[in-house]
Amino acid sequence: MRMDRTQRGWALASLAILAVSGIAYGIYVWQSPAGPSGGSSMGLVFGIVGFGFMIFAALLGARKRVPTWRLGRAQSWMRGHLWLGLLSLPMILFHGGFHFGGALTRVLMWLTMIVVVSGVYGAVLQNYLPSMMTRDVPLETIYDEIGNVRKALRMEADALVERICGRLGLVKEVDEGQRAGGFTALRPIAAASAPLRTSAAVSAGASAAVAAQPEIVLLTEEQSQPLRLFYFSEVRAFLEAPAWMRQRLGDPEKARNSFAALRRMMPPATHAALDDLLDICDETRQLMRQERLHRWLHGWLLLHIPLSLALILLGAIHAVMALRY
Amino acid sequence: MTPAGLIELTIDGKAVQVPPGTTVFDAARMNGISIPTLCHLQSQTPVGVCRLCVVDTGARVLGAACVRPVEPGMKVQTNSEKVLAARKTLLELLMADHPSPCARQRHSGDCELETLAKQAGIAASRFPRRTISRGQDDSSLAIAVDHDACILCDRCIRGCDEIKSNFVLGRMGKGYSADIAFDLNAPMGDSTCISCGECMVSCPTGALTNKGVAGTALAAGPDAALTAEELHKLPVFAGVSGTFLDLNRGAIVRRRFRKGDVICREGDFGSTAFFILEGKAQVSISAPIAHVKTAGGALGFFKRLTSSLVGREQDNRAEEAHDRTIPIDASVDLAYGNPVAELGPGDLFGEMTCMNFYPRSATVRAETDVVAYEMLRNVLDIMQKNKTFRAQIDQNYRRRALENHLLGVPMFAELSPDFIEHLRESVELVRYAPGQVIARQGDPADSFYLVRIGFVKITEEYPGGELVLAYLSRGDYFGEIGLLGGGFRTATCTALDHVEVVKISGDDFRHMVARYPNIRAGLEKVAAERRAANEQRLQMLENVPLDQFLSQGLMEAQSLLILDLQNCTRCDACVNACADAHDGVTRLVRDGLRFENYLVATSCRQCRDPLCMVGCPVGSIRRRNSLEVIIEDWCIGCGLCARNCPYGNINLHPFEVLGDDPEHFGRKKAVVKQKATSCDLCTHLKEPSCVYACPHDAAHRVDPRKFFGQMLGPGGCR
Repeated sequence: MRMDRTQRGWALASLAILAVSGIAYGIYVWQSPAGPSGGSSMGLVFGIVGFGFMIFAALLGARKRVPTWRLGRAQSWMRGHLWLGLLSLPMILFHGGFHFGGALTRVLMWLTMIVVVSGVYGAVLQNYLPSMMTRDVPLETIYDEIGNVRKALRMEADALVERICGRLGLVKEVDEGQRAGGFTALRPIAAASAPLRTSAAVSAGASAAVAAQPEIVLLTEEQSQPLRLFYFSEVRAFLEAPAWMRQRLGDPEKARNSFAALRRMMPPATHAALDDLLDICDETRQLMRQERLHRWLHGWLLLHIPLSLALILLGAIHAVMALRY
Repeated sequence: MTPAGLIELTIDGKAVQVPPGTTVFDAARMNGISIPTLCHLQSQTPVGVCRLCVVDTGARVLGAACVRPVEPGMKVQTNSEKVLAARKTLLELLMADHPSPCARQRHSGDCELETLAKQAGIAASRFPRRTISRGQDDSSLAIAVDHDACILCDRCIRGCDEIKSNFVLGRMGKGYSADIAFDLNAPMGDSTCISCGECMVSCPTGALTNKGVAGTALAAGPDAALTAEELHKLPVFAGVSGTFLDLNRGAIVRRRFRKGDVICREGDFGSTAFFILEGKAQVSISAPIAHVKTAGGALGFFKRLTSSLVGREQDNRAEEAHDRTIPIDASVDLAYGNPVAELGPGDLFGEMTCMNFYPRSATVRAETDVVAYEMLRNVLDIMQKNKTFRAQIDQNYRRRALENHLLGVPMFAELSPDFIEHLRESVELVRYAPGQVIARQGDPADSFYLVRIGFVKITEEYPGGELVLAYLSRGDYFGEIGLLGGGFRTATCTALDHVEVVKISGDDFRHMVARYPNIRAGLEKVAAERRAANEQRLQMLENVPLDQFLSQGLMEAQSLLILDLQNCTRCDACVNACADAHDGVTRLVRDGLRFENYLVATSCRQCRDPLCMVGCPVGSIRRRNSLEVIIEDWCIGCGLCARNCPYGNINLHPFEVLGDDPEHFGRKKAVVKQKATSCDLCTHLKEPSCVYACPHDAAHRVDPRKFFGQMLGPGGCR
């Protein structure tokens, strides 16, 4: 969720709560000669409020499980999750008087801090990465479809090279059918072997270029040797297992240079096909970028969610134990 | 010694005797001497236009043998050097304009011009080729016209006039721009041509060729395909050229169906029409008359969301059409409450499927043993152009369906039987070919139209373009605005496919509105609504902008689901919410066009030009007055709307229901029936779930003009 002006209300309210709580805590500390304690009335109030905030924040997960229930807009829940979750940390610190206490409370304190910090980290990522992905991956597709798109690109590249070099002796991959992707998937393509591109390319005006078939001449083995070598040593390997490191095509600048060198060795009739091949590599690189950004965007949840659940569970145990004993 | 009454002359040194009045061409032919020609046919009056049959008679100039009568003592040279040179030059001139190989040469290798040119050793013409094409005419279903291949020999014109007495073909233009023309230069398919094929069999080149429906000849099976001789015996084909019928062999078969056999099934795609000769058939819709509704939500805490089929009685949706009949592709309409009717001898059904390749609109089952002709569109076209057959079909319609059709429009429900009887006799049934203009904006309004078959596109011209206002299908009407208003057409109405309309004359219309004030009031109300809606759309158009906006079709949309990609974390909460709200089947895909930083997700856009509506065989997808697209209860689940939607926004939802058992007539069994669904804006949940469930404020349902207006700037949407 972006941290923009729409957050002002929640931010001001949170600041107000923090300020009031801070003043209350100050007064409470000033009036407690033995120092603050979680078991005191004020300490319990801070504990209950902090744990309440945590529970509310944790309920976002449950809320997402029933998206059609009219329990308030999901974005309101998300804002509450962000700000109340953040406030839970000072509340718990006030509750413990900035002391970590025994073993359980120490674990709880650390868990709270990790959960809140990971949450803040996630919020920061979610603030910046969507824009980055929008900018860097104009050919973005649905994350789960990346594998299929990559396979389609590989098949497209094979077909393109085979039209210049003749049969490459590759095992034909089975196209498992239409990929998801609404408009793009349903868009009629001029010829069966015409290149596929993801939706953004279509909206960027690429459809005309996509539909146009370059005129390609089948070359002799000698003429096509440079392309054949380059394709097997660089392109195919990159399309099969793209990686940033260890592969020249993983770097846009190096990829452009490699293709420029290849162009000089190949007849002009093949240049359009080489441009298309370069486009395929670019799209593969973008998909790689999308995968990476997607992992950053959602990877932190692997830490945040389990620790949050552990925190709630241990917090409940701590509450029961503290109140009972 | 010359026998009395005969004339003696010499042809190529051979003395011959022929009756007076014989042409040199015939005299030569009768004596075994062949003179090449292109414009002359034995069955037609010679006209001597191609000049290829020129011979040397010793006169100052060469003469055309086909029109030159013999004279006593005439010495004719048919193949002297001078004659051969003249012929060769003529052939070269003709070949210079001929698209060699022409369609006929390509298909059967017997283009007469190209054969003669080859015999004369002409490989390439010395003369420059024609630079401007005279064009092709593909409007006829049976005959292809290539004006470029026409050598203006007039054989087609004489075939049409002299042999068949149809007088459809003629010449138009002068000199180099001369051409053959149908009626007053109408496209062949729109002309009064009856597709007898005489012009085509007369044509020496590929200018008029048979459009055999390659690869789609009907399988003969036990019911052997009808031969040209058998077809000729049928009154409907009596006037059609035998050669033409022979070329269309296999395009019509006689089928026999036993009692209980399914003749065609609703939703199936096909390309044939049926004409019942004997027996009775039952036509019905077996898809449940209901729409898809999703139930559940927060109220049912433990209840899973489920989609179910509900009829109007249980769920009366706002602004639903209150039709009393369901239009189908036959001479009858089906009653909404009991969608079953009977077809008998003389009934034609499947016209829309045959002519426009729409899915079958209903299931037809033999009630008794049935004998019927099944035919492809080229044969149906020939039949429909036969005046007797046409009259019979029209009579059937007037007798059986016109009343239902008129009364099916709620506004006309109060028409009295005597007025309907009057209309029965006075209305015209008019057919239009695809693309043909039915009424043009600005022309005087002289008629009111009810659509009987096909789809009509209503467009309004404005400075710089044309705006689609509506698509009308069977049961819809148009023309009332002009008649009730200023007397001029306010929009252009064009046949989108093969259209047939019931044309009510202006006088009858005025008589009707004078006699029935309620109908007048209703029509005026609809006219005012349509005028207001049209004005609103034109205003929208004036305010809409920018190439990219237009090229993405966004201005066509009334409501877009957009995702702000700067906010969207790609968490798919919107997709999951949509699936949750619709029984696990999502109606949106988080992919689509991008406009700046916004993704236009794949979800119904409520288009202003809703292509999804075109072709619905039962007219069940339509627009509400609020311009939202609604799928009515009698959807048969054929899926054509889903295929037509350019954005992939319509889905089919399967349900298991009790239906007719195809194996056992009269029994029921569980079958899967489909119903089309599109984004319903979660009306059952008050707000689109995708928007409601987005935690990042990224998903929005917006009016594209307003939303993108600021982004496009002052020159854009305002």
